[in-house]
Amino acid sequence: MNTFDLLMLGFSEAMTPANLGFCLIGALLGTLIGVLPGIGPTATIAVLLPITFFLPPLAGIIMLAGIYYGAQYGGSTTAILVNLPGEASAVVTALDGYQMAQQGRAGSALAVAALGSFFAGTVATFGIAIAGPMLSSFALNFGPAEYVALMVFGLLAATILASGPVLKAIGMILIGLLLGMVGTDQATGAERLTFGSLDLFDGIEFTVIAIGLFGFSEIIANLERSGSEGVKLAPMSRMWPTREDFRRSWPAVLRGTGIGTFLGILPGGGATLASFSAYSLEKKVSKHPKKFGTGVVEGVAAPESANNAAAQSSFIPLLTLGIPSNNMMAMMLSAFMIHGITPGPSVLTNQPEIFWGLVASMWIGNALLVFINMPLIGLWVKLLTVPYRLLYPAILLFCCVGVYSMNNRIFDVLLAAGFGLLGYAFRKAKCEPGPLLLGFVLGPLLEANLRRTLLITQGDPSIFVERPISLTMLAATVILLALMILPSFRKKREEAFQEEEA
Amino acid sequence: MTCLKSLPLAAAMLTLAGAAHAEWPTDRPIEMIVAFAPGGGTDIMLRTLAPYLEAELDAQFPVLNRPGAAGEITYTALSQSRPDGYTVSSLNTPGFLTMQIDRKLRFDPADLCPIARIVEDPGTFIVPASSEFQTLEDLVAFAKENPGAVSIGTTGVGTDEHMAMLQLERTAGIDLTAIPFGGANEAKTALLGGHITAIGLNVGEYATSDKNAMRALAQFAEERSVLAGDLPTAKEQGFDVIMSSERGLATRCEVPEDIRARMAEAVDAALANPEFQAQAKQQSLPLSFQSGADWQAAMPARLDRYRDIFALIKEGQ
Amino acid sequence: MNAARGDGPDLLTAGLFAGFGALGLWLARDLDQGTMAQMGAGYLPRAVCAGLILLGGVIGAMALRRDAAPIEGMRLRPLLVIVGSIAGFAFLAEHGGFVAASLWLIIAGSLADPGGRWRTVLMLAGGLTAFGALVFVYGLGVQMELWPI
Repeated sequence: MNTFDLLMLGFSEAMTPANLGFCLIGALLGTLIGVLPGIGPTATIAVLLPITFFLPPLAGIIMLAGIYYGAQYGGSTTAILVNLPGEASAVVTALDGYQMAQQGRAGSALAVAALGSFFAGTVATFGIAIAGPMLSSFALNFGPAEYVALMVFGLLAATILASGPVLKAIGMILIGLLLGMVGTDQATGAERLTFGSLDLFDGIEFTVIAIGLFGFSEIIANLERSGSEGVKLAPMSRMWPTREDFRRSWPAVLRGTGIGTFLGILPGGGATLASFSAYSLEKKVSKHPKKFGTGVVEGVAAPESANNAAAQSSFIPLLTLGIPSNNMMAMMLSAFMIHGITPGPSVLTNQPEIFWGLVASMWIGNALLVFINMPLIGLWVKLLTVPYRLLYPAILLFCCVGVYSMNNRIFDVLLAAGFGLLGYAFRKAKCEPGPLLLGFVLGPLLEANLRRTLLITQGDPSIFVERPISLTMLAATVILLALMILPSFRKKREEAFQEEEA
Repeated sequence: MTCLKSLPLAAAMLTLAGAAHAEWPTDRPIEMIVAFAPGGGTDIMLRTLAPYLEAELDAQFPVLNRPGAAGEITYTALSQSRPDGYTVSSLNTPGFLTMQIDRKLRFDPADLCPIARIVEDPGTFIVPASSEFQTLEDLVAFAKENPGAVSIGTTGVGTDEHMAMLQLERTAGIDLTAIPFGGANEAKTALLGGHITAIGLNVGEYATSDKNAMRALAQFAEERSVLAGDLPTAKEQGFDVIMSSERGLATRCEVPEDIRARMAEAVDAALANPEFQAQAKQQSLPLSFQSGADWQAAMPARLDRYRDIFALIKEGQ
Repeated sequence: MNAARGDGPDLLTAGLFAGFGALGLWLARDLDQGTMAQMGAGYLPRAVCAGLILLGGVIGAMALRRDAAPIEGMRLRPLLVIVGSIAGFAFLAEHGGFVAASLWLIIAGSLADPGGRWRTVLMLAGGLTAFGALVFVYGLGVQMELWPI
């Protein structure tokens, strides 16, 4: 059978009424938990896992997959509407998306995000179908040394996405790295930076920091700015993107899709990098990089398509090698195992209906999501017309419950309140929290892989330049860094001259 | 008359009060605290088991996840619960034992009594299918020639894989390099990419992996596991390495003994249920029931063994 | 902030960076340094903290040479009320169940915005609590008691 026949087999499996129904349920549920900040797909899927015992294998897996990519979809909604990224991948969407919403262009931002995601999901799904096995064997070439190079590159990308001075962005990344080191050191088992507290033993959760720095501090800042008359948002001017919006997002979506599909296949951390890298690339190639962060549509289109493409292509290592690339995929692996299916090359040959059925259902699910979300945009936008004094208590409640539900402990809620205070201080200091989050996410990966590399080579760092992939990425990092620093030096010198003249 | 009439009633009430133990469980739910995040091996195992326990005891078993600190958060919560038989928790070795060695704990391990062991999963060493090593002996011979060149992926210091590695180093007189990973899946990825020589895994994890891509060299059990009947043990190959992880249930020791016995019976009966066994087989759970008392009796010897190994780690540093 | 020189926000940045660096160094004082081949638990934390202190110093020095720029004014009311209501939620979630915690969070949190009226606040609190109980506790299985135990 060639790819086309197999794809047809997949569609015939995925189009049965029952499977279609489970796909819809999954996508709906995913959208719901994606919109609710803090409630992540991982916990939801865990609760639903036992239910899938009673479903046929394909139906259960289709539903869980639907929850996963539905949540990716829904996560951007809160990022755009109330500046609350539920997951690492939505942090950059909030940068320009929230600004657009403040200017009354929430509808455009949501529509561009939905359409861009759908396009990216389609491309990535067919990418899995056509080149899945080939891509995954390439991904295996990424050893510890390559990851170090990739993470260094990713951290540099984080400095690009900040619109303020480079030095502040670097400092925020360093604080993120430091926060990522809190907890038990994976390699030696030593407790680090925990103040001796058992609650910090496993480190800090991403959601705690994100909700504190973004959610809580945004609420405090909004209330502070408004004073007694209550926060007012800009009136809704448009529901639908303009032709200009479409013209400008189109290439951004294409680039985002490419980056997302590629980074998504890398096991461990690749998908997180996708939206950050896509945004940074857009800013680099743009003719007006200064406008990023003030509500440009490319700043929504690129990261949204990248994270959806990555969500799809992160299935590649799981389906073709049996290796989950993140926690969600580990959960999917459990779902397969509950049904006695071991994902890997043997599934491709022995049970093609499972692999191809899932691939086909992912495309159908993406299409369903557009149908679900397009009419919802009107509703979401209406939500913004609710007076802020009624809206913010609801956001507070959702944030608190979401943070609590991760580990069922109040400590996380208190910690998030602390990060709210810190976020407030950062605002006063004019420091952007985005790079901090990226440093926090990538830091542990960078440290673990750096130590692993040097353990394997017994302390010889030359491996980084001997391996072609790592050499290429490090070279790209150096060039990018030079490009960034040179203009700012030039500007500094100009300023200095002007001062002297004055 | 009224007095006489109410006497039997009073008597009945007295008996009721006296028999409160025997009445366990009433319709109150029995909370099952799981020390790991939803979706992990222990969590799935207990969530699969819960409906069968509910059928055996005619009581509800809601699962509450309190992940963190290798189980210490859960054990602390259990030791602070009321000793009335309505709170149980997961219990995992070697974690439960190794945390007693060099950590200041927030609970007293002597407060927790195992109810029953459900699973025993021995450790293995896995190499990629393309590796030149066919047996543990091949690997040891190579490591003798090239000290430090053999890298073994583990999931951190003091984990079962790491302790198995240290035992092998000692018994074979070789020098291996431990490479810590965040989890078994990360280690597997690095193994398949050829970035490290071998990794430690549990037999249960190996059984659900793609066997065309990797090969097990030995299992570190006294006897071959039900999941891998054709894989020789390290002892059979001449190396004294014993390391397995066990999972079961525990409650407070202050819970009356008859209640604990009823719980153990229920676990035993649930494990014998063919339906449960079918589900366990699909998940590659190496079922191995042991009563709480037997399990507890075996723990001190294990603890001593781990103490010796930890002393070795200290020397190494 | 009243000095003729010194960029307020940047000086605050410098303080925050250097403060984090110093705090990190202090917390990491007992950690193993290790070697390049066998990095200890303290190797990278110290490197990062040193970087932060250095960076804080540079930013601070540059800010001092610039013209004075004040930090935006602060209002304590929203800050204290929001943080306090969240802390109260955390305490009540543990001891008083979801309903009490949620009512407290919304009613106390509403004090941050002086424009609110009691009737709307109470209705909002009741509605959101019912919604939260249905969606989170029943629907999504968040492991929280509804009522005090």
